[in-house]
Amino acid sequence: MIGRPLFSGFALGRTHLAIPVALVLVLGCIVPLGVLVVFSVFEVDFDAFVLMPALSPRAWSDLFHTWSFWVLIGKAVISGAAAALTTSILGYPIALALASAPLNWKGIGTVVLLTPLYTGEIVRIYAWRIVLGSEGLINTLLLDLHIVASPVKWLLFTPFTTALVLTYNNLPYMVLAIWVSAEMVDKRLIEAARDLGARPLDAFFKVTLPLTTPGLAAGVFAVFALAAGEMLTPSLLGGTSGQTAMAMIDNLFGTAFDWPLASALALALLAALFLTAVALGFCLTRFKGARAVIGRGRA
Amino acid sequence: MTSAHLNRRQMLGTLAAGAGLTLLGSPNRPAFAAAKELVWATWDSNGHPEYVSPFEAKTGSKVKLSYLSSEDAQFAALKTGSASDWDIVNPSLNGSWRYIKAGVLKSLDLTKLPGTANMYDVFKTTDKVKDDKGATFAIPYLWGLNPIVYRSDKYDVEPTYSTLFDPKYKGQLAMRDYALESISLTALHLGIPRDKAFTLSADELAECKKALIAQKPILRTYWQTIGDLTNLFATGEVTCAFSWRVPYDALKDKMKVAMAKPKAGIMGWCDCFGIPASLADDKLDLAYAFGNYLLGPDYAAAIAEIGNYATSTNVVRDKLTKEKQEAIFIDDLSIMKNFMWPVAPPNYSDWLKVWNEVKAA
Repeated sequence: MIGRPLFSGFALGRTHLAIPVALVLVLGCIVPLGVLVVFSVFEVDFDAFVLMPALSPRAWSDLFHTWSFWVLIGKAVISGAAAALTTSILGYPIALALASAPLNWKGIGTVVLLTPLYTGEIVRIYAWRIVLGSEGLINTLLLDLHIVASPVKWLLFTPFTTALVLTYNNLPYMVLAIWVSAEMVDKRLIEAARDLGARPLDAFFKVTLPLTTPGLAAGVFAVFALAAGEMLTPSLLGGTSGQTAMAMIDNLFGTAFDWPLASALALALLAALFLTAVALGFCLTRFKGARAVIGRGRA
Repeated sequence: MTSAHLNRRQMLGTLAAGAGLTLLGSPNRPAFAAAKELVWATWDSNGHPEYVSPFEAKTGSKVKLSYLSSEDAQFAALKTGSASDWDIVNPSLNGSWRYIKAGVLKSLDLTKLPGTANMYDVFKTTDKVKDDKGATFAIPYLWGLNPIVYRSDKYDVEPTYSTLFDPKYKGQLAMRDYALESISLTALHLGIPRDKAFTLSADELAECKKALIAQKPILRTYWQTIGDLTNLFATGEVTCAFSWRVPYDALKDKMKVAMAKPKAGIMGWCDCFGIPASLADDKLDLAYAFGNYLLGPDYAAAIAEIGNYATSTNVVRDKLTKEKQEAIFIDDLSIMKNFMWPVAPPNYSDWLKVWNEVKAA
């Protein structure tokens, strides 16, 4: 059927297969966004708990005049960008090692990489508490070896903990994305670079990195979005620093019944994350040769 | 133990007998010809199947339990009409006003709820379940206290709310990540009377914010769920926290824990039952019968024995052991004079902003 005229003057092509999925994506993204925009200018009758259609700037004014909302948005951006950076630095050696490993080891590597993802997030969080807690594995070891005299408290319930666990949770997404790209790199190009006198690091930065930039970009965007929107890990492991924009939005939609303000905050967060993602994409194309690789699919 | 006291075994025996009667059929069942099934939306801790089996035995009806995930979700479901199968719902005493204002509950005919006569005065006289015209929309049926739970081997004297702000215990304390309770608790610590702790002025809110920001460095963490806090006690991360009683019950046999009930004011919680405004008339009689059951002795005895909770009536108090009375806070009824029922203030968005600023500081 593909390629044959269905109606006079209209033929289904292979690209048209994407239309149903694209429609779902558009409806699933555009419609909720439109609803948020509309809700953000509504008013709330807090006596009757009713959203009232209006064209009110109240929620946006509250948003712009409350510094703590912007702190939370900034935290989300920094948290996402930091996770993207640390996972890409840690992920590259793992992905390249997997790409050059024998087939059997690739299978084992995949299992090791994906197993943590199959355990629930709550399970992972409490496992981290057991590892990092005052009476946890690391502190017990440090105390038994007389390296410290009292438990190291900053291991748990600090921004360090949040950063560590977000990196751990998101590392598989980065590794998988870079690994797929690395598998497609023609190894002879790297050998040629080495034959022409490039040191290993030069060969990495001038050949491997540009050729694997599409994978890196996919990993960066995925990890950035996942880490920036994370709510459970910061709140259960970040201690008194664990507040997130997502938790605030949840509070405003729920207990406070302030849907306009929650909508405005959600839209502001989305805009900040989108702009940061664009900036990250721009930075990625600055890698020497990366633009040519990313743009090679263009007609 | 006297014969009037119920222990766990006797209770389970009674419940088993009740379940047995359901199978054999009871000759004295009231007739509820129109409705044979009732859906009760409630917390899982309030609605174990064994708690309702005596009612099922007596009425020949089936009570289906629909467990709530949060009060906000319950309110939203009633408000949007997505909970059309619920026949009895579970607003909290402090949150009833918003259900009433939103018009999602039926006005109750108290003549059909004779069980209300046995309620403790503090519940019988509360206006929180009435509208401006005095009509009643919900009935308190289950309550408890939110004490300070602490490691009794780590504290020489019983903690107060001020203990939670004492740098001496740095790194061992936890507060709940919940604006309403944490800010009002801070108000009590600052000496604001308990009757004003939920209606703070802008200046008082600012004072609370200052104290809460100063408190942050001495806290180990903010706890999110009661399971989370229980884990924090069990793993030695926290030795004192504003809490629910759950960590005490879970850990009292494993470590030295105790509950403190500060004189400045004890935060209470109280669940009510209400009937959705949309309930069909043919189910009303069964719904009222179930309301009376929640105020009666069978439910009170079962939930006291198994769940460690007290109902709002005095129908089984004298039949319980002293230990059980103490465990569910009804050994000394003067405690009710110190009750504080958390009430979300009209400017709750301001409270949330303060709490958010504290956490972002």
